[in-house]
Amino acid sequence: MTIALQPGPAPRTAVRGRYGRLMTWLLRATLRLDTAIHRIWPTDYNPLYYTGGLANLFLLILVLSGLFLFFYYEASLGGAFDSVRYITEGVPYGGIIRGVHRYAADAFIVAVLLHLFRNWFTDRYLFSRDNPWISGMFLLVFGGFVGVTGYQLIWDERAQVLTGLFLGLLRSIPGVGDPLARIFLGGAGVSDGTLVRILFLHIAPASTLYVLLWWHYLRLRHPKIWPPATWVLFSVGLIFLLAGIIPARGGEPAAPGARPTGFPLDLFFLLPFWLLNWIPPGGMVAALALLVVLGLAIPYVGRREHPEAMNVRHAGVAQVIDGNCTGCELCYYDCPYNAIIMVSSPAPGLSRAAANRTLLAVVLESRCVECGICVGACPFEALELPGFLERDVKRLVAEAVRA
Amino acid sequence: MPERTAAAGEWPKIVGFVCDWSVDLAPLVEAGRLRELPNVRIIRIPCSGFVRPAWLEDALGRGADGVFVTGCPYGDCLNREGNYLMRDRVDQLQRRLVRRRIDPARLAMLAHGLHDGQAFLAEIRAFVERLRALPKAAAARPPQAPAAASATEGEG
Repeated sequence: MTIALQPGPAPRTAVRGRYGRLMTWLLRATLRLDTAIHRIWPTDYNPLYYTGGLANLFLLILVLSGLFLFFYYEASLGGAFDSVRYITEGVPYGGIIRGVHRYAADAFIVAVLLHLFRNWFTDRYLFSRDNPWISGMFLLVFGGFVGVTGYQLIWDERAQVLTGLFLGLLRSIPGVGDPLARIFLGGAGVSDGTLVRILFLHIAPASTLYVLLWWHYLRLRHPKIWPPATWVLFSVGLIFLLAGIIPARGGEPAAPGARPTGFPLDLFFLLPFWLLNWIPPGGMVAALALLVVLGLAIPYVGRREHPEAMNVRHAGVAQVIDGNCTGCELCYYDCPYNAIIMVSSPAPGLSRAAANRTLLAVVLESRCVECGICVGACPFEALELPGFLERDVKRLVAEAVRA
Repeated sequence: MPERTAAAGEWPKIVGFVCDWSVDLAPLVEAGRLRELPNVRIIRIPCSGFVRPAWLEDALGRGADGVFVTGCPYGDCLNREGNYLMRDRVDQLQRRLVRRRIDPARLAMLAHGLHDGQAFLAEIRAFVERLRALPKAAAARPPQAPAAASATEGEG
């Protein structure tokens, strides 16, 4: 076997092209930021390592506070604004809960965006990790949409403007625009039914987030769904503090005849609507669609998809050595990508330890990222990376000790 | 220890397994050894979790004075959990070494990111100092590892 194992590859310097150089720079900048953060917190507590868990935490806060708000909310043209005002002023702690819902939503989208950029810049969408990436894009789209409908539900002036702009976006879609707008409105114009539909479009996609999260976690063993307790307490405290200090307030009630022109901006959710000041609705729809398509394409474009193109050591998909496998499940538990499954063993193994096995480990090729963690997990020498055999490692150790 | 100063460059003999994705070794390594500390031999691995604890024992058994594994910072393993798993395995192996009357300080688990080259070197230097303070026990044992190596020879 003539695989050059020494010196090791230089994984991050050999990416060619302008895109590759940009991504390398972003990777280095991200890791340099980590180095700076580690001067303050130990690495286990780096908040940037838990952006996914934090987003999950904020989502749970949103669901709980949203349930509370749902019981008081009235989905009708005349009642929506008053019910929100009643929650804020009449219900004990209602204003706090409303503020929590408002600020947790912002925190959620910030955490999601940080999660997206961090995993993009650090290459954590490559190889078989496209599943979390694709489901993540859907989570982002659904989450953003839920945020927009949330602003419409209050039915103040801003909600009215937003709904008008949103209808403009819908109508600018060629072909299906007008029917879509009619479906959204539930008729020719805004009516009580419209708010019922907006309420549905707020809650149904929010519930769908959990279905998408199941897909998001599907290929991961032990996903980090929860940040360390310190950060949980800090985040919850921060949101309650914000809700207490800067209460969430709506604007003036929406009036059918009024033509409001401006509204207080929430940059995190309403950025596309702000950009409508300069971009025509058709262009905005096209830009959003293009962004989503580009996002979905990220794992598949460029030459970084294959280990060889990234100049990473191509160790090969892990192989189970049938005769040695005892069916102990250690590799199954340690594989971070659920790439190893246990099947009932068709025949006993060859080694003494494997003679009485009932299970056999099988590597799913499409999920393996060739990291070799299963090799380290296996005490029975039943797993090997074809490009870096145990024999090779032992030879290297022997050479290192002899020299 | 004056009698050892002559061999200070070669002693203690250290084998290090370093993950491809952790410290940027290009400026630090020359011909498989640390430029600054030529007694430290580096073996590049695809992930710190790839290391089988038997290999670390094997290196100690063959006469290395110290062995270490370097992974990414905890929480930031490219493969999600490799460094945590390896940290657990190293802890476990250290307890086993105690039972075999081998000083567990000969084994170390480090975690450093791409830009932590200097911190990595500093930790290696401290490791070297710790090993220099230990009695030179590894050479006294037979070069062949007792159980692990002989078992693997049969199957390889």
